[in-house]
Amino acid sequence: MSPTTPESPTSVTEDLLVQRLRARDESAMTLFYDKYSSALYGVILRIVKTEEVAEDVLQESLVKIWNSFQSYDASKGRLFTWVLNVSRNLAIDKIRSRQYRVSSRTQPLEESAALRQAATPTFRPEHIGLQEMTSKLNPEQKQIIDLLYFGGFTQSEVAEELNLPLGTVKTRARAAIKVLAKLIR
Amino acid sequence: MNIQEYIESGILEEYALGVLDAAQRAEVERYAAEYPAVQQELDLIQQGLESYAQAHTQNPPAGMRERVLAGFQAAIRQPEAAAPVAVAAEPVVRSIASAQPGEAEAAGFNWLMAASVALLVLSAAANLILYNRWQSSETQLVALQADQSRVASTMQAVEKRLDTRTQELAVLRSEQFNAVELAGTPVAPEAKARVLYNKATKAVYVDVRNLPTLPEGKQYQLWAMDKGKPVDAGMLAAATTAGDSLQQMKNIANAEAFAMTVEPAGGSENPTMETMTVLGKF
Repeated sequence: MSPTTPESPTSVTEDLLVQRLRARDESAMTLFYDKYSSALYGVILRIVKTEEVAEDVLQESLVKIWNSFQSYDASKGRLFTWVLNVSRNLAIDKIRSRQYRVSSRTQPLEESAALRQAATPTFRPEHIGLQEMTSKLNPEQKQIIDLLYFGGFTQSEVAEELNLPLGTVKTRARAAIKVLAKLIR
Repeated sequence: MNIQEYIESGILEEYALGVLDAAQRAEVERYAAEYPAVQQELDLIQQGLESYAQAHTQNPPAGMRERVLAGFQAAIRQPEAAAPVAVAAEPVVRSIASAQPGEAEAAGFNWLMAASVALLVLSAAANLILYNRWQSSETQLVALQADQSRVASTMQAVEKRLDTRTQELAVLRSEQFNAVELAGTPVAPEAKARVLYNKATKAVYVDVRNLPTLPEGKQYQLWAMDKGKPVDAGMLAAATTAGDSLQQMKNIANAEAFAMTVEPAGGSENPTMETMTVLGKF
């Protein structure tokens, strides 16, 4: 990349982004947005269900990422891991603060537009489509992962919700994640 | 501690899911930092979960990029607006403009607050003064109303007396009335009265100049002498007897003389001749 050409979202590396954010470079947040917003928005939307709320949460996430960037420790994990958790926690706070859970907990993922939408290539060359991933998970594993990861449920709450022993929930959750990890191994 | 057992215990998956408490998270991070195998496994698990998250990628709706980035810009400038020094150092004009109205607003609010309190105090004082004035006005008004009604009733009495006097004057000045002077008899030589008689209308008025005061239960009675016979012309009221005013008596068809006698209160059918006080002829 020549220094004079405008930076494109995919061209900016995570290291450079972290470096600029640490230097309090506001324009880096625009690059950050272009690089990660689709992925973050998808996860947030999956949790909060409505586009308006998802947009609010995405904006709150950007503010929180900017304001608490000094707490990001690159040695503990990648930038995306950290920002994904920031956004996911804000989205879960949102649905816990409102009465989202009663109406949304029984909604099956299959109704989600995300499943039908073709995966958009983003920053991950090894990006794998949702259909491909869910086909590797069995329905029980998928249900537990969705409740834990997108529903803001604790393992005990999942056990209660699905009327399963806590041990079974833990076993299935671990198994599900092992499957996901194997897919990129 | 068997690392392989730790990896397979499932705690790393729970860590990635964010379901561990703070103490458990710290433990995982300590092991990850100490054992590269743990870190490697944890990375893999996190990437697996992130891939799943990323598989939910949604293209945001049109216009969202501008809205969210503008909202982000506005939000991160808010804390700076609270610190004027930082704002002054900030080369972006926009943030200074956004900071000053906030301060001016706060100052304006304080000023308005002080002004409101001052106005309230002034208003209360004014109310007290006005209330006292109103109270004394009310008292004065009541007194004036009493005065006014007293004056009005006096006026009414005066008007009534004026009416009477006007009427009396009309009788006295009328050419239709003939005056008959009644002189005192030997019973009361000082007694003196006058009868005004209108032959056309038969009206009779008595005008007393001087009559002896009568004891309780006695009253003067006027008589008209018609062809030698006494005809009752009515009883004199106390005020008439005292000489206070004219008194209209009973109408008399015909008379050549008038006389007054002292009779029991209410009058008699026939005069008690020995008590005749005054007598007068045409």
